Amino acid sequence: MNAPEKLKKPPRSASELTCIVRVNEEIKSIVATAFRINLMALNAIFLAKRAGNAALGFGVLSNELRRFAQDLTHHMASLRDMTSGSVGSVTGVVQQQRNSAILLQAIRLSGDGVPGVREARKRGAQRLAEQHGRLRALDLRLRAAVEETQQLVELGGVLARSAKIEAAYGGGFSPALMQVSTDFAEVIAQIKRSLEVLGKERLVKD
Amino acid sequence: MKQAHCIYQNDDHRWLAIARDASKPGYLIDTNEYLVMDGEQALLCDPGGIEIFPAVFSALSAECDPTKLAGIFASHQDPDIISSLALWLEFKPDLKCYTSWLWQSFLPHFGGSESTFVPIPDPGMTIRLGSLELQAIPAHYLHSSGNHHLYDPKAKILFSGDVGAALLPPDQGGLYVEDFSRHIRHAEGFHKRWMGSDRAKRDWCERVSRLEIDMMVPQHGAIYQGPDVQRFINWFAALEVGVLRG
Ligand SMILES: [Fe+2]
Ligand SMILES: [Fe+2]
Repeated sequence: MNAPEKLKKPPRSASELTCIVRVNEEIKSIVATAFRINLMALNAIFLAKRAGNAALGFGVLSNELRRFAQDLTHHMASLRDMTSGSVGSVTGVVQQQRNSAILLQAIRLSGDGVPGVREARKRGAQRLAEQHGRLRALDLRLRAAVEETQQLVELGGVLARSAKIEAAYGGGFSPALMQVSTDFAEVIAQIKRSLEVLGKERLVKD
Repeated sequence: MKQAHCIYQNDDHRWLAIARDASKPGYLIDTNEYLVMDGEQALLCDPGGIEIFPAVFSALSAECDPTKLAGIFASHQDPDIISSLALWLEFKPDLKCYTSWLWQSFLPHFGGSESTFVPIPDPGMTIRLGSLELQAIPAHYLHSSGNHHLYDPKAKILFSGDVGAALLPPDQGGLYVEDFSRHIRHAEGFHKRWMGSDRAKRDWCERVSRLEIDMMVPQHGAIYQGPDVQRFINWFAALEVGVLRG
């Protein structure tokens, strides 16, 4: 027998734990980007003030973009809460799978017919199913939350495009405003990509 | 592969030693597990680590009905003693784990809930198993700061945890000590380094000298029988412990 060799194979949930790490990293990068938009929006507001009447529309949009950045930060905070809770659930699955695997190995070594083993396996399977159920529910909530955030970011995209149009009417400030609105658009595209990645992650593999 | 050896039997009062795991990887210390049975109930002493659970479980199942397992006695908190706890509970969720009160909030890190643990007070306690009254005997600081041994007055067997342990070479794989002076060489370094308190050691020697012991069964190495038990106690009483080298 070479028991420890067999146990070295990472259980399926190890990849689920890795998945949560990836989700958290993606969330962190979106939070950092949201912070950048916030700063960019503040700068844009000052720029618009300096441009005065020529950039009234741009100023309004900058304010909207700042609000957008704040909303986005809130969204990401609640996503982060969800995933931090899920680490506990995934760890439970990992432990349960490990225990079940070792018990199964013990049962195999003992041969069939050892009293109590069927009940023990049934209990283990039941606990695992419950834990998987919890993870699945969390996965659904996470996906719904990501979709909601994607809609918010669509709005951000519209704001960035409108800012570009407004920048054209900025007179002498037009090149500077154009630069700022291009930066906005780029950053929002980046967030969109991150959200797409996030939307593809699954906490439970079926 | 580990096997259960019957080391004592009187009707349905039995002691099994689950020892010698040749298939276990070399980086794990070899351990002995002991099962005390009386009628319909069994108590497992120092069930061992996670890695060896399959071997211990199957050796035990070969000799007795594992659903009869009523409890686990953990002499102390070490991983080679009790890290398999969650797995035994996986098999039997209502198992009781008897261990020093000192480890009551530490051992749940290996598994179990509040209802799993029965704290043993410092002076020890009686553990009832079927018609038996097993005695948890204090052995604190030998080596763990909360440590008990288990004495069966009917079988006259003392389960002595790490005390009496020997790290034997593969050619000395016998279940019992055959040549005390040859054997004890493999116990010396372990006891000098692991046993930390001279005072605790003297207390223990006095305490167990008052017990009638036919067999002293340690968690590592071979079993002491008959006069070798007193030989061990005398040897231990004279040994300088708590030394880093030498
Ligand atoms: Fe120990
Ligand atoms: Fe030990």
